[in-house]
Amino acid sequence: MLDFKLSLQREPRPAATEGLYDLIILGGGPAGLTAAIYAGRARIHTLVLVGPLPGGQPANTDLVENFPGFPEGIEGQELARRFLAQAERFGVEMRYESATGVDFSTRPFVIRTHGATYRARSVIVALGAVPRRLGVPGEDKFFGRGVSTCATCDGYFYRDKRVVVVGGGDSAIIEGLYLTRFAREVIVVHRRDQLRATRIYQDRAFANPKMRFVFNTVVEEILGEKTVTGVRVRNVKTGETSILEADGVFIYIGMEPQTEMFRGQLELDERGYIVTDRRQHTNIPGVFAAGDIQDPYYRQLVVAAGTGAIAAMEVERFLEMYPD
Amino acid sequence: MPLLNEEIRREVAKFLEGIPRPVRLVMFTQEFECEYCADTRQLVEELAEISDRIVAEIYDFQADRAKAEELGIDKIPAIAVIGEQDYGVRFYGIPSGYEFTSLLYAIRYVSEGKTELSDATLKVLEGLTEPVHIQVFVTPTCPYCPQAVTLAHQMAVASPMVRADMVEATEFPHLAYKYQVMGVPRTVINEKVHIEGAVPESYMVAKLQEAVR
Repeated sequence: MLDFKLSLQREPRPAATEGLYDLIILGGGPAGLTAAIYAGRARIHTLVLVGPLPGGQPANTDLVENFPGFPEGIEGQELARRFLAQAERFGVEMRYESATGVDFSTRPFVIRTHGATYRARSVIVALGAVPRRLGVPGEDKFFGRGVSTCATCDGYFYRDKRVVVVGGGDSAIIEGLYLTRFAREVIVVHRRDQLRATRIYQDRAFANPKMRFVFNTVVEEILGEKTVTGVRVRNVKTGETSILEADGVFIYIGMEPQTEMFRGQLELDERGYIVTDRRQHTNIPGVFAAGDIQDPYYRQLVVAAGTGAIAAMEVERFLEMYPD
Repeated sequence: MPLLNEEIRREVAKFLEGIPRPVRLVMFTQEFECEYCADTRQLVEELAEISDRIVAEIYDFQADRAKAEELGIDKIPAIAVIGEQDYGVRFYGIPSGYEFTSLLYAIRYVSEGKTELSDATLKVLEGLTEPVHIQVFVTPTCPYCPQAVTLAHQMAVASPMVRADMVEATEFPHLAYKYQVMGVPRTVINEKVHIEGAVPESYMVAKLQEAVR
């Protein structure tokens, strides 16, 4: 069935030097867009730099079943579209650019993108997290050519083929189940002795005849000359290595925050997450953070949205106290 | 049964109100052996219905062979997005799913005849002395793909040396095979340089320079 998705910014980009905003939100996922909805309703002059994935991680998810208000679940892409539409409805400006550099040393803060510079009286950093990579030989060589972190993008290319899914959490199992629509076999390779995914997904996965599970096992190398032919794996209990034949590898071993741009300006924890207090303040007054970029524990859509709302309400208070 | 629902139509209408000059969507189809030709044709006609700034022109790929050759159309369904001039902006396969957004952006850039590329990018494009052909392979379910497509199409609008195609990989499996597409977006420049993923503008420019070196 055909569908048609829209995420449009209405206005062309302003000239390179103009643009002082009360608030610039970095990131257009659940946290950033919830913040945008709150900021828009508070009539705060707001720009959202949406970045490469409008709607954020839900846009890369097949079906979202744990967001309240959608008893039948909702397609991740549809939810992402609705977030964007709702934020736009309250008059915030959205641009499909990504920040390439920031200067938080003086107010107004400076945000640079490829080709533009913006200034802001306050900032919410909500850039989320990106899929973690395995860091094994063959991964870089085949990335985009047999190694993927996006089943909805690339599943089609594995019709009647065998794929390996690495990981045992919700994403691994949900995306693995999605891949069974195309692939003839989906082998889940997980380093622990049982899945970590929510029970309801586990039940579905174990009931699916196309899914197979290899526990206590890590991937050590992605094999192939021109195309992926398999993975070399090691059983962490026995130390034995073996080869699993496969045409493709999908990696779902969690996410990591992308915070290099902020190092030296914002306080980061040992894993690179931005450190915030309970009201989403960072170490710099006027700079707030929300969503997965500051959440090493939960990384749930509904939590990200919640912290986005808090950040926007704190911005409102901050701007009242420090208008300039 | 319309392809575009009321909500999408309203959004499209609002977006197209903002474009300065009319745009022709020159579509190539045929009656048989083309799974998405009928839908692509309907999509183009619905857009023309929504806005009087969009003109739908439908050609038969076989019967109107000369027209296809004139526009360099070599497969169907195809849409050439043409404004005051033909910038070389093409869609092969139906722009459904996320690619519908790419189509609307292409319409806007072609209508305006200008882009949002950086000055540094424009300078590189001005210096081009040989033709550049960019093909961006996509699937309709890839949220990262429109970024790559829109970037390529802007380069086509900005430079008479550049033409840029969106190619929907699932409709042209032989091309997906030929160019070893196993993931999208995959961008192929002049048959020799490949880019995996949606990359920043500066990276794409560097790869483009590599392709003409």
